[in-house]
Amino acid sequence: MGGGGGGGENGEPEFQIAPMIDVLLTLLIFFMSITSAQVLKIDKDIQLPVAPDAKKKDEKNSINEAALNIRWEVAQQKAVVTFEDKKYPQMEELSTLLQSRKDRNPKYRVIIRGDKRLPALEVQKVMAVIGQAGIDDISFSALNQ
Amino acid sequence: MSGSAKSKHPMEVEAVNLGFQIAPMIDVVFVIMLFFMVMAGAVKVERELKQQLPGVNVVSADNAPEMPDEITVGVEESGHVTLNEEELDPPDSKTMPNFVATMMRLKQEADGRKAKVLVTIQAEEQAKYERVIDVLNCLAKAQVSNVTFTVGEEQ
Repeated sequence: MGGGGGGGENGEPEFQIAPMIDVLLTLLIFFMSITSAQVLKIDKDIQLPVAPDAKKKDEKNSINEAALNIRWEVAQQKAVVTFEDKKYPQMEELSTLLQSRKDRNPKYRVIIRGDKRLPALEVQKVMAVIGQAGIDDISFSALNQ
Repeated sequence: MSGSAKSKHPMEVEAVNLGFQIAPMIDVVFVIMLFFMVMAGAVKVERELKQQLPGVNVVSADNAPEMPDEITVGVEESGHVTLNEEELDPPDSKTMPNFVATMMRLKQEADGRKAKVLVTIQAEEQAKYERVIDVLNCLAKAQVSNVTFTVGEEQ
């Protein structure tokens, strides 16, 4: 793009603006892409736990994935389970729904996004529901830092 | 000097240069790039701790697994983590280096015998989920993937 070796009339190399703009724009696009691709899409009320040694999410498999959010209501000291923006106070309904999904798609898997303040019992209850629905492939969501 | 030039050639001075300015563009691009560079380092990424729930897969007689080495990890409400009822790290340690080292050693030993390591996490009902994730993170570090859960004493 710059053309030639950038030499001036007196043989001194001069500063070429065009290749610098090329490099700058390339760097800009690179940093923009890695930042926007990693933007978190989770329920803001959920404080995810930190697990730096956990694996990166496999984006290829996201079609078969379902995210199950477990929020912790601090005031009421109560866990709220939401799936696809709908609250499920009755676990039986959720179990039936997950079972129908699993029947339709054998590769169906569930990601549990639980608040770090939750008691272990609440997560165990949700895991029991997932197990009842016949889903064995689960994962726990966590942050890298 | 410039004042006299202005009065002589008013049309030349009033003609505003609307051409493309490269210097401000580079300034802006630099600032945007710096912003994204800083953001890239601080961005929080969602990760996952994969687990397989027991009791769903049907095991045929041909590929029936051997009896694994069972290890029980207790997670108490106070944050204490025990390995076969022995406490290795303080309750405020998130990385639990002694626990990880012991698990790595046990895993290596089991791999040498071609046996599997099965870890059962026995969390108290009111134990924090965050602490359970700490344990799972340590197990992931030790490359132990065979994990089951129990909560409460009756289970």
